[in-house]
Amino acid sequence: MEAAFFELKGISKYFAKVIANKDVSFAIRRGEVLALLGENGAGKSTVMKILYGLYKADEGQIFKDGQEVKINSPKDAMKLGISMIQQHFSLVPAHTVTENIILGNVHGVIDQKSAREEIKNLAERYGFELNPDDYIRDLAVGVQQKVEILKALYQKANLLIMDEPTAVLTPQESDNLMHFIRDFAAQGNSVIFITHKLKEVMHVADRIIVMRSGVVVGDLKRSETNEVELSKLMIGKDLEVLNKNAKPKTADQQPRLVLENITVEEKSGVPALKNISLTVKQGEVLGIAGVSGNGQQELCEVICGALSPTSGKIYLDGEDITTSNINERIARGIGYVPADRGRYGMILQMSIAENMLLKTSFDKKWQKSGFIDQQKLNQYTLDQIKEYSIKAPSPDSRAGGLSGGNQQKVILAREVDNGSKVIVLDQPTRGLDLGAINHIHKVILEERAKGKSVVLVSTELSEIFALSDRIAVLYKGEIQGIFEPSELTTEKIGLLMAGYRLEEVSKDA
Amino acid sequence: MLDKVRDLIITNFLAILLGIVASGIMLLFLGENPISAYSILITSVARDTYTFADIFVKATPLMFTALAFAFTYKANLYNIGAQGQFYIGAVIAVASSLFLQNIMPGWLALIITLILTLAGSGIWGAFIGFVKAKYNSNEFLISMMSTYVALNIMNYLLRTHLMEAKGEYPQTDALNTSVWLPKIVPGTRLHIGFILAILACIGTWVLLYKTPIGYRIRVVGYNAEAANMSGIDAKKLYVLAFFISGALAGAAGFTEVNGVQHMLVQGFNSDIGSAGIGIAILANGNPIGIIFASILFGALKVGGTIMGQMSAIPSSIIDLMEGFVMVFVILAYFVRNWMDNNREKRKLQKAVVQ
Repeated sequence: MEAAFFELKGISKYFAKVIANKDVSFAIRRGEVLALLGENGAGKSTVMKILYGLYKADEGQIFKDGQEVKINSPKDAMKLGISMIQQHFSLVPAHTVTENIILGNVHGVIDQKSAREEIKNLAERYGFELNPDDYIRDLAVGVQQKVEILKALYQKANLLIMDEPTAVLTPQESDNLMHFIRDFAAQGNSVIFITHKLKEVMHVADRIIVMRSGVVVGDLKRSETNEVELSKLMIGKDLEVLNKNAKPKTADQQPRLVLENITVEEKSGVPALKNISLTVKQGEVLGIAGVSGNGQQELCEVICGALSPTSGKIYLDGEDITTSNINERIARGIGYVPADRGRYGMILQMSIAENMLLKTSFDKKWQKSGFIDQQKLNQYTLDQIKEYSIKAPSPDSRAGGLSGGNQQKVILAREVDNGSKVIVLDQPTRGLDLGAINHIHKVILEERAKGKSVVLVSTELSEIFALSDRIAVLYKGEIQGIFEPSELTTEKIGLLMAGYRLEEVSKDA
Repeated sequence: MLDKVRDLIITNFLAILLGIVASGIMLLFLGENPISAYSILITSVARDTYTFADIFVKATPLMFTALAFAFTYKANLYNIGAQGQFYIGAVIAVASSLFLQNIMPGWLALIITLILTLAGSGIWGAFIGFVKAKYNSNEFLISMMSTYVALNIMNYLLRTHLMEAKGEYPQTDALNTSVWLPKIVPGTRLHIGFILAILACIGTWVLLYKTPIGYRIRVVGYNAEAANMSGIDAKKLYVLAFFISGALAGAAGFTEVNGVQHMLVQGFNSDIGSAGIGIAILANGNPIGIIFASILFGALKVGGTIMGQMSAIPSSIIDLMEGFVMVFVILAYFVRNWMDNNREKRKLQKAVVQ
């Protein structure tokens, strides 16, 4: 058998406080698509960043075609034909496609014309519809990803590493990407893609490496495994199945939150939300589906009071709350779990207990003769840590030192208490591992059973379908329609999310 | 935890030592014997009670200006105008004392003067916070430039309304002894202002870490976006933080005028604003750390002055030493982080092997 294209042997990486990788070994052959599967925090990205030269391994070796190589920087990696597309793209929005692609690969006088031609040819060869002269800022996320891929191709990469490439894509865009991956591999190149989505793995990978807690727990051929086995390997235990039958009937419940013709115009005059009208009843989960960046954040902020609508009205239990500010809405029982938790939802430098206080520091219940009632706050935090099984040594632990899932549980615990009537959740499970996702889903259903109204924004369709009583599809700030889950198929909702009108969808379907 | 405390003491001690060694090398360049220079420095500050007590006299205003910087720093704001707020405080203190000393008992005049000083310099500071909140001006620039305005207001008043009766120099008349801050050690210059400064440090710590308002100030400092999302009005807190900061710096004016100078002279204590910034950084913004850092700087100041008098060494070598110590203490902070990281790593590696 020929030597593997790239091989990792005994790679270990220690960060302060965590073992990111321990004795990780695997190989990738030419023409192979390798999926690196694992929960968040399993060490997938770390080992790939070592291969790409962004991190330095504490132990272990890397081989190319049987020869040991040293990769100390992405520059070294590129010389060896390795290219990595990060989860967050590294493109310059104010530059054109061509300028972005040649960035870092040109010296002296730039021959724009020939570069442009080459990029055009490359794009055509792989069937990318792309104008080399477009500015990045004008492109959709899916297209931006194509630019990143082209950049790798332009550098003549033959090992392409992709970190969670489908996280930002519509189902159709994902399909296109999968086609490209197969295509690219068929020409003798190799692809490693990092994911925690089993479906994609089964769809496109030749071989699957499963990682858990920094070690490789499985190296399997796709043809010899199945989703059940993979998920067991990935989380190391069986998942609790959500009990959908516990859903109470909501049809005859009172409306709780009503939005009437809400429009939000940005400074430029472009509407971020256009004429949104929706009703959330007591004990109902309203799912908001859509590709991210289509007005979800604005919608959530309008509900929780951070953004005031240009026109339209908001009612809570029949009372007009359009002009009440965030504090009043918190006091009225609207909780909000923002998508970008580190930025909007918590103070990473502060302790868990201090984060519990974040939205209720004005509330007398946390005060004792003008001072913060630390004892009460600590006890409360300790209770929440237990109830939500947050993995933290004590209420004094720094929030920034927790894993993403545990951070999210801290915010969720707080907002479930703040939101005695309405809880708005924006991407509550994004980037979390299956165990944490399962727990959060359970909490949502529990709160719903208590009669709270839940607005659930998610780009994860399976989540929307599993939890929602009704589903609204958001596209460019407009609601494409509100549906019962049974009325929708994945394909139909995918088209709606991509901007097709209901009439067009029905015709096609 | 113990490891961390040990690291903190050892690294800071080494940093100070390195600072002294480095400035010793500079002394060599000046053709002086560093060892004899340092022995003068050490013996001189401990030579009598008066000199020793002067360390704390010098530390007093430094604590206030350092607190002024540290306080806004916690809200992620930069108040580098403590010098100006100090001048405003000094002007109010001297004007109020001169006016009140003849019409009421000294203790009452002192209390009213303190309140007026805090209010006046606080409002002076709050203006910076206000334009920051209202017009999003750069508080760094505004606070810096406001120092020059304050300086010129002081100079103007010293030549006009507040000028001494003799009309000779740009300075005020001396205050009556009734409005001098009481001494705490007889035979020295150490006055009750030192106690006030310590209380201010402790009070600031309590305010920042034990009260809802301090909590909100820190929240805004760490993450203004999350604060806004949580219904905390960052702009209101900008004004408040600058008010408190200005009042703290102004308090230094009160203790210097009523406790040490007993009059206001043009151009006095022209460097305590910048020294305060250095001390605050040295103490990593911690109000309790500021107490110790201020005393260290007070000692260097006293020792430096005497050293300048007793040898041919320019007393400005002390500024150099302060600079070196500061650089090494800041480096020590990073060294500590690095040591902490490595310790955790080793723990992990060990745990894996076992």
